[in-house]
Amino acid sequence: MSTAPAAVTRLIEAFAQLPGIGHKTAARLTFFLLRNRLDLAVHLAEALRELKERTRFCSICYNITEEDPCPICSDPGRDHSLICVVEEPLDMLAIEQVGTYKGVYHVLHGVLAPSEGIFVENLRISELLTRVRSGGVREVILATNPTGEGDWTASYLVHQLRPLGVRVTRLGRGLPMGGDLEYADVVTLTRALEGREEM
Amino acid sequence: MHIRYLSLTNFRNYARLELALPERPLLLYGANAQGKTSLLEAIYLLATGSSPLTSLDRQLIRWNAEAEGLPYARVWAEVAHRARRYEIEIALERKALSNGTVRMHKTIRIDRVRKRRTDLAGRLNAVLFMPQDVEIVSGSPAVRRHYLDAALCQVDAAYCTALERYTEALRQRNAVLRHLRDEGGDPAQLAPFEEILARQGVIVAHGRRELVAALSHYAGHIHRQLTGELEWLRLEYRPNFDPAAPPWLKYQMELGLHYSGPPPGVTDEELVEAFRQTLVRRRKEEIARGTTLTGPHRDEMRFIAGSPALGIHEVDLGMYGSRGQQRTAVLALKLAELA
Repeated sequence: MSTAPAAVTRLIEAFAQLPGIGHKTAARLTFFLLRNRLDLAVHLAEALRELKERTRFCSICYNITEEDPCPICSDPGRDHSLICVVEEPLDMLAIEQVGTYKGVYHVLHGVLAPSEGIFVENLRISELLTRVRSGGVREVILATNPTGEGDWTASYLVHQLRPLGVRVTRLGRGLPMGGDLEYADVVTLTRALEGREEM
Repeated sequence: MHIRYLSLTNFRNYARLELALPERPLLLYGANAQGKTSLLEAIYLLATGSSPLTSLDRQLIRWNAEAEGLPYARVWAEVAHRARRYEIEIALERKALSNGTVRMHKTIRIDRVRKRRTDLAGRLNAVLFMPQDVEIVSGSPAVRRHYLDAALCQVDAAYCTALERYTEALRQRNAVLRHLRDEGGDPAQLAPFEEILARQGVIVAHGRRELVAALSHYAGHIHRQLTGELEWLRLEYRPNFDPAAPPWLKYQMELGLHYSGPPPGVTDEELVEAFRQTLVRRRKEEIARGTTLTGPHRDEMRFIAGSPALGIHEVDLGMYGSRGQQRTAVLALKLAELA
């Protein structure tokens, strides 16, 4: 790419840093923008600038928001005594899409992964504990992913939250809807058996 | 259980081997560098998913296969076990990534279906006896732990899973310990890993204890025959952590006296809790050292022997055994594993 103009190379390299985008895709996107009507590139540039300039973390739940507190935290119709703890803003969007959850959220911005240098201090955990300590919270739902890291994080949170006198629950784990028992792996089946429910 | 057919492609010094095997003892003989050991290595690879000789899978691919542009090795066997027959296949492939690094890709298939390494447990059981195995007696405790783990993982998938989870939690907890030592922070973040270590650690210790007891029984028997009733041999499992052991018992163990496990009536739940509490109690010391000091990752197994005829009552072979005695003990151990 050394023969391409510096402005082209610069954008290709910038695209290539995005997740899921390699050098080829980055080059294709760049040349698409180059060939396309001018306003798409301008539109994209504006959108990108606004993304950083107009968004910030909600000071209550640490979700990404344009106004602080975020629309969910400032909604009087939601149950503020019920907090759902998620790893990333995207997880929160997934639960919001269900449409039945009426509580509020807390975004950790990551999970415990000590061998990769991510410790309790690097997550929004102390903020969650302060929030619960300040009162008015009845239940905390731990909605971290069912992975090793998600489990460690949930396990740490349980230890920290229980002494504060709130109910701590975790999302149910087990078989996916429309799934088939015979195709489930051992770990999932074990979890499903452990988490069985009284009918 | 026996191998009916073995097929090797680009494995070590074999460009190609197609070999039907009879169901009876076999003796392989030949000049140096003809592939006798490689054949055994291939079988061991199918049994465990890894080579006994090298941790670098790259070395398993025939060296000029790479020069020929086919960096690929395949080991395939048809195994008969009672009335059942199944195929085990391990393929190793050298893949060059776009960023210039090279990665080895290992694919395990049982009956042509992709499986994980732990699924190999119990499919093909192999006992390998090599000259360097005398290390099991004379080498470091890590060699003996590795030996026990490899033997257990071949037959017990639950043990293998517990060991994997234990090892992972240990790695994470040690990372937290170093972080707390260097940067400070909340020691409570050790708790999630301590829970896993305690729960899986008890499974690991239990598996090892049972195996050592069984091996000791058989190896003792075989050893008496090997030495013409002149010497006896006993294996001792010395867990690094034994919550049920009162201090006086620990003292006895250090003196090398026999110990067979926690007293009856202690439940696994109590062991897990005691182990967890020990981890919590030693946090301060472990933060200073930056590593976890308690647990099965520091277990030990000793070979104790005596030869009454020579007036030697009891001696630890790892420390005082002659080379010959050490070899005899390993042979007895390997034969015991067969039993």
